[in-house]
Amino acid sequence: MAVEAVLTTTILDRIYREILYAENKLTMWKRLLLVRGAEIVVFLLLTAIPLEINNAYALGLLTLLAVYGILLIGLDVTVGYLGQINLGHTAFLGLGAYAAGLSVSYLGFGVLGALGLSLVVGLVFGGILALPALRLEGPQFALATLSFSALTVTTLNEWEGLTNGAQGLQVARPDLFGLQLNAQNFYWLCLIFLALVWLVMRNLLSSQWGRAFEALRDSPIATDAMGIGAYRHKVAGFAIGSALGGLAGGLYAFNFQYLQPQTFVYDLMIILLLGIVLGGRKSLWGAFVGASLIALLPNLLSSRIVFQTLSILGFLLAFSAGARCLVKKKTKPFQAIAPIVAMGTLVIGSLVVKNTEDWRQAIFALMLFSVVVGLPEGLMGFASHFLAQLFRLAPPSLPEASPLDTVLVNKPVDGEALLELKNLKRYFGGVKAVDGISLSIRSGQIHGLLGPNGSGKSTVVNVISGLYPPTAGEMLLHGKPLPTGSLFKVSRVGISRTFQNLQLFAELTALDNVMVAMKGVYRSVLPLVLLGLIKEEEKRAQADSLALLTLVDLKDLARSKAKDLTYGAQRFLEIARALARKPDLLILDEPAAGLAHPDVTRLVEIIKRIHQQGVSIILIEHHMDVVSELCGMVTVLDGGKIIADGSPDEVKRHPKVIEAYLGTPDDEAAKALPASDAPLLA
Amino acid sequence: MYALIVTQMVVSGVLMGLIYALIAYGFQLTYATSKSINFGQGELVMVSAFFSLTLLNVGVPYWLMVPGGMLFGALLGLVVERAGVRLALEQKSEGWILMTIILGLFAFSVAENIWGRDDRPFPTPISSNPIQIFGIHITPVEISVAIGVFALMGMIELFKRKTLLGKAFEAVSADRDAAELMGISATRTIMLSYGLSGVVAALAGILIAPITTVGPTMASALILKAFSVAVVAGLDSGFGVVVIGMTLGALESLTSFYLGSGWREAPGLILLILALAIRPMGVFGKASIRKV
Amino acid sequence: MLVVDNVHAGYGASEVLVGISLEVRKATVVALIGANGAGKTTTMRTISGNVKPTQGRVLLDGKPVQGLDASRIARLGLSHSPEGRKVFGPLSVEDNLLLGAYSRLPAFFGFRRQAERELAHVYQLFPRLRERRSQAAGTLSGGEQQMLAIGRALMANPKVMLLDEPSMGLAPVIVQEVFNTIRRLKEEGITLLLVEQFAKSALEVADYAYVIEHGRIALEGTPADLHKDERVLAAYLG
Repeated sequence: MAVEAVLTTTILDRIYREILYAENKLTMWKRLLLVRGAEIVVFLLLTAIPLEINNAYALGLLTLLAVYGILLIGLDVTVGYLGQINLGHTAFLGLGAYAAGLSVSYLGFGVLGALGLSLVVGLVFGGILALPALRLEGPQFALATLSFSALTVTTLNEWEGLTNGAQGLQVARPDLFGLQLNAQNFYWLCLIFLALVWLVMRNLLSSQWGRAFEALRDSPIATDAMGIGAYRHKVAGFAIGSALGGLAGGLYAFNFQYLQPQTFVYDLMIILLLGIVLGGRKSLWGAFVGASLIALLPNLLSSRIVFQTLSILGFLLAFSAGARCLVKKKTKPFQAIAPIVAMGTLVIGSLVVKNTEDWRQAIFALMLFSVVVGLPEGLMGFASHFLAQLFRLAPPSLPEASPLDTVLVNKPVDGEALLELKNLKRYFGGVKAVDGISLSIRSGQIHGLLGPNGSGKSTVVNVISGLYPPTAGEMLLHGKPLPTGSLFKVSRVGISRTFQNLQLFAELTALDNVMVAMKGVYRSVLPLVLLGLIKEEEKRAQADSLALLTLVDLKDLARSKAKDLTYGAQRFLEIARALARKPDLLILDEPAAGLAHPDVTRLVEIIKRIHQQGVSIILIEHHMDVVSELCGMVTVLDGGKIIADGSPDEVKRHPKVIEAYLGTPDDEAAKALPASDAPLLA
Repeated sequence: MYALIVTQMVVSGVLMGLIYALIAYGFQLTYATSKSINFGQGELVMVSAFFSLTLLNVGVPYWLMVPGGMLFGALLGLVVERAGVRLALEQKSEGWILMTIILGLFAFSVAENIWGRDDRPFPTPISSNPIQIFGIHITPVEISVAIGVFALMGMIELFKRKTLLGKAFEAVSADRDAAELMGISATRTIMLSYGLSGVVAALAGILIAPITTVGPTMASALILKAFSVAVVAGLDSGFGVVVIGMTLGALESLTSFYLGSGWREAPGLILLILALAIRPMGVFGKASIRKV
Repeated sequence: MLVVDNVHAGYGASEVLVGISLEVRKATVVALIGANGAGKTTTMRTISGNVKPTQGRVLLDGKPVQGLDASRIARLGLSHSPEGRKVFGPLSVEDNLLLGAYSRLPAFFGFRRQAERELAHVYQLFPRLRERRSQAAGTLSGGEQQMLAIGRALMANPKVMLLDEPSMGLAPVIVQEVFNTIRRLKEEGITLLLVEQFAKSALEVADYAYVIEHGRIALEGTPADLHKDERVLAAYLG
């Protein structure tokens, strides 16, 4: 009881504060109406239909639409947001369905209890499958999910004692709080679930979680390096998607009241993929449109005239779009021609073939093919371009930037060893990229790492930051062993880095790039995120991120996508993002590479400002003037070994350094040098 | 007597496993050059088998039908590459997974409508009367499966090692960009790998058809197991595929002996999930180095 | 022999080269030097077709080759020893070399016989490679891999050879050896475009040099001219 009370007050408190945080009421309502208007209208329409049309068949279709809607929103998490082809979603539908059915008949569960169980079953099995499977990518992941699905069907078929096997299982539909769930009431129940799922998923996907999903698609490496954890987000995303699959399964069971393992095979999976792809990935609306299409499709095919008209319309669409692309040379010829050929085949087929039902799969295949090739963003992706142009909404205003000192709290600098490397080695086959390096980075220093290309500098920082495990040697941070071979773990202990070849989250805005890496702001547990009660944290994260963007002079570009920034701005954005980790040690891997001179000057200023906040820095750099101006200590590498160590001035005069940079050890070349404190390194 | 039955089970399982291995080997060929595989490979096996049956029915002699069917398989492989894979590879996306599934679906439906849904016998001049070797019954048809599998895989491996084109094939697998700099066209090499993969699938269909009969669903169970074999062995190793294929075949035959034939599919799937949990790159696979 | 005329190129939205023009005459060694990120390697990759130029022309022996596939350009007589060597790790040293001559050898049989002369030439240049002919290339040391990469590019008897950062990641003694080899090749009359971080060494072997900065040519001249110009040194050390 007490726990419940605390929970209720927390939530009430949250809601109260959310209201306080809402901007100007009027703009809020306007935004709400514009953005949410379509959702409300569609929902009301769907609710009202059965009041007007009392047709069992239509009601069945609508119920199926709601169930498929939930199912596809779940599938879209993996296929759309995580970008992995998931061929096992029907398994969760089946598991959820059987869980609901069996819990009613064996355990006497009510409708809500059974549905809750379906959800949990989906979540648990999703997690169990995801843990190993998501260590794989691409085809292996698809194969693993496909096999899981096959295994599930086999088990449901063979475990006759429990599931009644291929004979099928009768499912009773208990009353809900004394209310008899007739077809109409059950439809409304499904609709309520669809609306809830919709709201919850919208909250989730617009939160830090959604950003992490996007980030992961753009750069899994940077996602790990920014401490977000690519793997755990993938697993969680997959489990959530599977839970929705399970829930849909529960509703499916109560809808048909009869289950057979053979329902949940590959054929259904293809239809689900058809829905996602047709509707459009990475979009709740896309999933909804897809669900409507696959619920209606069998009916469209059964009427010959409708089917012929549809295929001719499809052909004309493919033809006009394809011809336009060909003329404008916007896409590859294949992309324009293949859909025309596919739709042309469909038209011919629709005129020639007698029984379209027999050709159902071929028809699906042709339609899918055309959409995947010609309309890769799906119907909603296609439509949203137009809608975005029609209703242009200014993005919500941003808060004031936090003071920098509250974001990067000035750390006391003691000059002690922060990071120690002892005899570090890393070999690649026969190539000794790093061959026994011992080094100590003191706190509060800017430590320069120099050397010719391929001397092992980048490999050293790649080993420190956990991209590669070392072949041998020790690494200590604050005297404690540093985790090895995991970008994620290293990032969590306070080392953050930038990349020589940029690893930005290209599709996210500059602001989101920083926010997604922001440490120490997001504390809310998942339930609060799902309820959407995290606006306060969002504001805080925005304000803090703006402070970091201000530090690198990018505040005015906060709403631009990272991929649209200039090359120099992208480099600065990586620095701001790395700072969002609030690191003790910041590793900058050739931040000046490719920068124009004015940008190099800005870079030097920025690094100085960061250093003033007490952040220790390892700077890999080729520009000697930059190194001289910034670094207290410099280490020079060549051939994977340290050849010199000391202050920039000492190092510049070191004969081995001069030799390494010239590549000519003989006297003649030394003579060719102007003077000993040569302009060479000036 | 009991030991003899178990041995008998293992031997027939291993022979079945060779077919899984052969199909999985086809995956490995295309994966090496393009990091992609044909998810509709099962349909390719089935359609090639139907086509070969049609060749036999119109009077083509068996020994001519075999190369004919393989040629047809190669053609289908090329179609898959052109229509389903190339665009996605150019866009560096994983769209090919969906595309090859779609092509498979189309092929399935077309085959069903052209050749009908019934299973049909596949006549072969090779006898299916068992002969006894060390007390174990084995049919010449089964022996022909083993010979066919090893002959084709051996020829392809020889091609890869001994001809310059084969070495080029390996070069594209090792480093696509560098291979292009040598004048090796990666696009053509990928086409070649899909063609070969089609040949392999067609032969698998021809070899297995006398045992399983020919029908639209003849390959759907087969392909699932070939997938398992490919993933468990890892997609880098032709040798691994054979070992795992035979192991799986033996395991299956023992499982159906002890637990009943309904559980026949289980060992492959469980093996797969175990392998994923313990060694996701495959038993014989290589871990890849991440680059930044 | 090789003319690059106002070439623009880049990756995705960001343009790395903003109008590069240079020329390599027959039987000369031309050096391309500049700071990291200036666009040296992108220039090389654009010439050989790994990167497609968005604008401008590349002429090989008078024929335009811009926009062709890398494999096409290679068959027209350009060979490119890429940055980071990129040897075919699982293949043997000799197979790597044979593949270097891929475009002019028969695809199935008898290719080894036809490549004998070039093979002998490469083995004579790099006796170490003969010793290790049947070893997998990935197990070679960095220096040996570099020799293999150069040897592989030579196998094609190219009209023009591109050599990108042959000194990368090598110990100074080995770098010295690599440059000796380049001198030898120069005496044999090779046409070479060389990208190098060690400007001094590069200028010593080159007949002519270009300095690249932020995707355009900032400076060009004979090594003697450039030696006088402090901007050269500034360009590669900042």
